[in-house]
Amino acid sequence: MSAAASPGKADTVMRVVEALLRQSFLLVMLACFLFFAFYNGAFLSLGNITNILEGSAILLVVSLGMTLVVAQGGIDLSVGVALDFGSAFAIVAMRDYDATWYVAILCGLAGGAIVGLLNAFLVVRLSVSPFLATLGVFFIGGSVQRIFTHGGGPISFRRLPLQYYDIAVGDVFGIPMKIVIGVAVLAVFYLLLERSLFGKRFHAIGMQPSAARIAGIATNAYVALGFVVASMTCAIGGIIASANLRMFTPLAGNAYLMQSIAAVFIGASMHPRGRPNVLGTAVGVLFLSMIANGLNLMGLDFNLKDALSGIILVVALVFAIAQRRLKH
Amino acid sequence: MTEPTGHILQMSGITKIFPGVVALDNANLAVREGHIHGLVGENGAGKSTIIKVLAGVYGRDAGEVVIDGAAMAAMTPAHVHAAGIRFIHQELHLVPHFTVAESVFMGQELQGWFGIKSRAMAEAAETFLKETLNAEIRGTTLIRDLGVAQRKLVQIARALIDNKARIVVFDEPTAPLASREIDQLFEAIARLKARGISMVYVSHYLGEITSICDQVTVFRNGRDVGVIEAIGPQDTGRMINMMVGRDISDLYPAKAHAPAAALLRVEALGDHKHFDNIDLEIRRGEIVGVAGLIGSGREELVDTIYGLRQPAAGRMLIDGKPVRLASPAAAVKQGIVLVPRDRRQDGLVLGMTVADNVNLASLEDVSRAYLINRPAAAKRADALAAKLDIRPRNVDTVARLLSGGNQQKVVLARWLATGSRLFILDEPTVGVDIGAKVEIYRLIERLAGDGAAVIVSSSDPNELIGLCDRIVVMLRGSIVANVDTATTSLDALIALTTGGELHEGAVA
Repeated sequence: MSAAASPGKADTVMRVVEALLRQSFLLVMLACFLFFAFYNGAFLSLGNITNILEGSAILLVVSLGMTLVVAQGGIDLSVGVALDFGSAFAIVAMRDYDATWYVAILCGLAGGAIVGLLNAFLVVRLSVSPFLATLGVFFIGGSVQRIFTHGGGPISFRRLPLQYYDIAVGDVFGIPMKIVIGVAVLAVFYLLLERSLFGKRFHAIGMQPSAARIAGIATNAYVALGFVVASMTCAIGGIIASANLRMFTPLAGNAYLMQSIAAVFIGASMHPRGRPNVLGTAVGVLFLSMIANGLNLMGLDFNLKDALSGIILVVALVFAIAQRRLKH
Repeated sequence: MTEPTGHILQMSGITKIFPGVVALDNANLAVREGHIHGLVGENGAGKSTIIKVLAGVYGRDAGEVVIDGAAMAAMTPAHVHAAGIRFIHQELHLVPHFTVAESVFMGQELQGWFGIKSRAMAEAAETFLKETLNAEIRGTTLIRDLGVAQRKLVQIARALIDNKARIVVFDEPTAPLASREIDQLFEAIARLKARGISMVYVSHYLGEITSICDQVTVFRNGRDVGVIEAIGPQDTGRMINMMVGRDISDLYPAKAHAPAAALLRVEALGDHKHFDNIDLEIRRGEIVGVAGLIGSGREELVDTIYGLRQPAAGRMLIDGKPVRLASPAAAVKQGIVLVPRDRRQDGLVLGMTVADNVNLASLEDVSRAYLINRPAAAKRADALAAKLDIRPRNVDTVARLLSGGNQQKVVLARWLATGSRLFILDEPTVGVDIGAKVEIYRLIERLAGDGAAVIVSSSDPNELIGLCDRIVVMLRGSIVANVDTATTSLDALIALTTGGELHEGAVA
């Protein structure tokens, strides 16, 4: 509170410190990157970098769906279910109904849409809070999968159409297909949330729903749409996963729930006004993937990975919070 | 320095600098013993800062505080309390499930051999409330069972119970009170004055200042710009001019607009709960006021016309065609827009920039293929900000940082951008500085002049008479009068809104 002797100078210092703190996450990330690179030469090899990026694709897609829901003021605990439904609908369509590869993709997307519609119905129509509504769908979706697979065994389909298999192993001009899909979805979400008029409305609803409504935005329609688009995006992740393994693995999607939440909030912490944003989420995903990969290469106990990611995450977020304190 | 006799409090040359802002710049405040001293100024003029310096909440960067002839070197809240200064804050700070006695004696409970003497405290609190404040409140009543006015009195009793108060500072004490309750508070204040207690009275309501204060200090831009001795109702205009720093010959613009054809007709509208059988017609180029106390159905009617609530009976016609507005989005499509009463909650998205707020309802106009054309969006927001003189002029400022008046202009700018036909303005100038108020009134007049229909719903009768062509008065869910403002006096309007008599249940 005490005003310094020369406010101009103090202001500049404050601004630099604030900018550094805001980007503290990138600095921590850079430090980790350099550490891994020095520790193990293999980390920087093209093969390994490609590996990190390819391995990030599913988490990126799921996290983008999560970003949309968090931006409109909710949370989606059923992203894993949407992913699993995407995977299951596509595999079953091909195995049991001889669907061609593109019909299978559409079926997968429809599977995700069902989850999104259910969330939207609960949140918009029945006014259940997003947390509880999607938690309910999380439980129901898990149970449905176990019943459908008679206890949770995978449904494999080895004779995948080649085009479908290419979703996981193909490439475009030498760039792995998973990276292409990830970047494409990222680009679409960037345009949608950060550049389009829909994005402005989503953000307005997330920040102050009553003000958005009085400004003439059809908030219910947008919230519903947000849930459906988010779930369908997660289903893309499920389609990639099913092409990769040539099977549907029940409940596999739940692995991405916490990670996607982490990625979204890492991204929000980097934003000057602390709001969820697409590019921030992408950085969050890269961070999580890089830590996992780097620790693996170090040959550390696999079980340590989560603890270390957690510690690094908390440290970085503490800096981000310090930045916001500084502002006030 | 020289010290005129009879001053119990003298603050001189007070300067307070926050990073980047000079909140107080060589400001002075002197209070005579036994007098009620008013303190007025626009938001941000430095009133609350100097009060907080006096309270010891803020340290001062320069200046001197003399209380009863003794210079205060160190000022902590404890020192200030020991010097006999008490503060009646705007917020009540009472615990709802404490009794009146517990609240009054909080921190100075009467102790006996066997702990706290509840019975004695209850009796003492009752006696004190009765004798000092003329209030009949039982000491054993729970705070949560009291009305706002009674809570205010308990708050005052708590500040005075130790009988060591010499100066009492009231900060906007009447803000939550209804007019009858205000009279009760003023009576209590008069009793305190009779006991020789000096008071500082901070308020936005100039009518209160002129009726109870002995002198007034006017603040502007962090300093005192003048003291008015022997203040009376005749000084109101002078006070306003001092506050805004320029001559405001007339608060309300001349009515130059001319009503034309009907735009909106409301027929037998009702929700069977808050209002019923409402017939209303608004013409283009007409400003219609809606008066009514809290609970008269005025707020609900306005919300229903905007599609925020659904009617149970009756219908609405726009240009003679029946419409059903299922949501605000539907209303906006019809060119009906609302400037809501709760600006910070409903009016604008505080976390977004001014530009985003201005463009929020008409993003299509600044977009191509659904993507926002950023330069075009910034340009339009800039133009509207300039037209309405929104400050700061930088449209990348986050809306939260704007003053109330400028926030209100942002909401209006948003609706100007959509080319609206019917403006519903609910309490358009609540929490707005006088300077901005005048600008908003001019803007409303210009809207009507340009052919828009305007509904002004307000609890300020002056505003309704000054601004509107006619006023419909609501009472207990019905329209009880539809009067021409040219032939209606302030007193007549107030009598109509209150049903011609004081009635129960009109508590704010």
